[in-house]
Amino acid sequence: MDEWKTSRSGMIAITVLRVVVGWHVLYEGLAKLTSPSWSAAGYLRVSRGPFSGLFHWIAGNPQLLDQANQITMYGLTIVGVLLILGLFTRLAAAGGIAFILLFYLCNPPFVGYFYSIPSEGSYLIVNKNLVEISALVVILVTRSGLFAGLDRILHLLVFRRTRLAPA
Amino acid sequence: MAGEDGTGAPKTQAAPDEPRKLGRREVLKGLSTVPALGLFGYAWEKQRRYQQAKVDEIAAAAKAPEGLREINIALLGAGAQGQVLTDAMLRIHGLRFRAVCDIWTEYNQKRVVNSLKRFKHEPNAYEDYREMLDKEKELDAVIIATPDFWHSQHTVDCLKAGKHVYCEKEMSNTLEGARAMVAAQRETGKLLQIGHQRRSNPRYLHCYDKIIQEAKMLGRIVTVYGQWNRGVTPDLGAPDRYVISDARLAHYGFKNMHQFRNWRWYKGKGGGPIVDLGSHQIDIYGWFLGANPSHVMASGGNLYYDPKTHEWYDTVMAVYDFDTPLGPAKAYYQTQTTNGSQGYFENFMGDQGTLLISESEVNYAGQLYRDPNAPSWDEWVQKGYVSAPKEQETRAKSDSGAIADVRESVAPDQHTVPVTLRDPYHQPHLQNFFDAVRGQARLNCPAEVAYETAVAVLKVNEAIEAKSRLSFNPQDFKA
Repeated sequence: MDEWKTSRSGMIAITVLRVVVGWHVLYEGLAKLTSPSWSAAGYLRVSRGPFSGLFHWIAGNPQLLDQANQITMYGLTIVGVLLILGLFTRLAAAGGIAFILLFYLCNPPFVGYFYSIPSEGSYLIVNKNLVEISALVVILVTRSGLFAGLDRILHLLVFRRTRLAPA
Repeated sequence: MAGEDGTGAPKTQAAPDEPRKLGRREVLKGLSTVPALGLFGYAWEKQRRYQQAKVDEIAAAAKAPEGLREINIALLGAGAQGQVLTDAMLRIHGLRFRAVCDIWTEYNQKRVVNSLKRFKHEPNAYEDYREMLDKEKELDAVIIATPDFWHSQHTVDCLKAGKHVYCEKEMSNTLEGARAMVAAQRETGKLLQIGHQRRSNPRYLHCYDKIIQEAKMLGRIVTVYGQWNRGVTPDLGAPDRYVISDARLAHYGFKNMHQFRNWRWYKGKGGGPIVDLGSHQIDIYGWFLGANPSHVMASGGNLYYDPKTHEWYDTVMAVYDFDTPLGPAKAYYQTQTTNGSQGYFENFMGDQGTLLISESEVNYAGQLYRDPNAPSWDEWVQKGYVSAPKEQETRAKSDSGAIADVRESVAPDQHTVPVTLRDPYHQPHLQNFFDAVRGQARLNCPAEVAYETAVAVLKVNEAIEAKSRLSFNPQDFKA
């Protein structure tokens, strides 16, 4: 794997994937930001699974809950914009992975856990959150922002200039 | 972060078509996904406009139709219950929100005012209700959803200011306070409706008017069982940036933010779960039985929560005696706040039938069981008072070979009450109030009726403390 390169068509597909995931994440963030009374409290309170104690603790601590709400609303919005634009792509992908991983762990579809929240599908270990995390991993490792995105311009403006600067 | 944060690109994963110099081609590639953000903005705007159109539709529908006088209202108390009432009132025709008053100006007040503005109302915001009453001369009615210990003073002052009042139950946390409310209503002649909203729920009205009174399908009700089981709930809190100053809290009767947010658990502020939850259902006991209780015994205690912050009983079990027009009856009620199994319902058991009912449209939404010895209900099925019977699961099982013990009663037929409520639970009761303000209806729960319920409910806490069976004097129920 020293010099592997993804084909041009592969990079186009990954760029499309990045934009689509970014679109979803951005809308999730904006919808929360513009809802007058959105809070993660409900989602956190119904947490099941091995990490439920942590999420219940956050839900029961107003200060932490408020911070979690702010971070989620603004974080998702920023990550979504960055993914669509292909700006700081790897940082945005890592941030998106962190967010969605927390959503996944809050109510993971592990063996033996059942949820009172109605779900539109059937899941065992892998659900749509995990699929989106995997997509973000692909985006993270393939540097799609350098192929098509503002990272490409930034790369030329900053990185190359730095590299070419006399010692 | 290759090329993105200036830390250098790993050469082992060089991207295809890696940029070499900043030319037009590179800039175009760099900007190639920007249109997607523009497309998102376009879709977002379309979505926002669609949502706004829906809001406008609701706002337009709520306008007073031709010939219907618009009623100017104020909301006093914009907490969770105030929000519930507001949501229901936004669906009622001919109301104009003129003011919102709440001492939590940083959060509750702002939230409700903003949500009302979305629906084309322009309410003025107040912290002090006296200032609101002084300035808002056009108000016709005030909707009160403040903590119980404020109900009496708020209601009396609003009535004396010439406003009709809809006040949330429990009408007061003390009988003195409740009596003052009844007296002020009589003195001013203004309307005072108390928020026992089941009194206007079409299913409850149908059960009382048609099933119990007209068809007498239950026969003589001898026992009643009801409950409201609620799971463990963490205390309410508030983020630091929304905390009210100690001085303002003290001014309005709260010792700290925890007490302000969790006043229902504190003596002198609320009445605990038996009042918050039980009051709704014990009100139905008296209504359906056609009598006030003669005795009550009760047991309860702080079995689970910290008594320092939960002064009222988290678990209560009470037994009432009723002398109904048809004979004596016993009514059991329990509320506990540590397990939500089976939720809430009321179960009226007569010698000819059983009525299992609740406010919920999902659970116990009106089931009737005809006792096998009772006269046929065919007439009532034909009239549409109840649905046709459904074969009992137990009967089906006995057909499959199980042998019933001779001591077991034959399983009764199950019918359902064919009345549903698709609106918010509080809407019909509020509608009844506003219809009464326009002179088009009589109040379904006027102050005197709610006073009787307050007497019956507040006595439970007394009985727990007294550890003995307490009796009611018929005079107790007269304010």
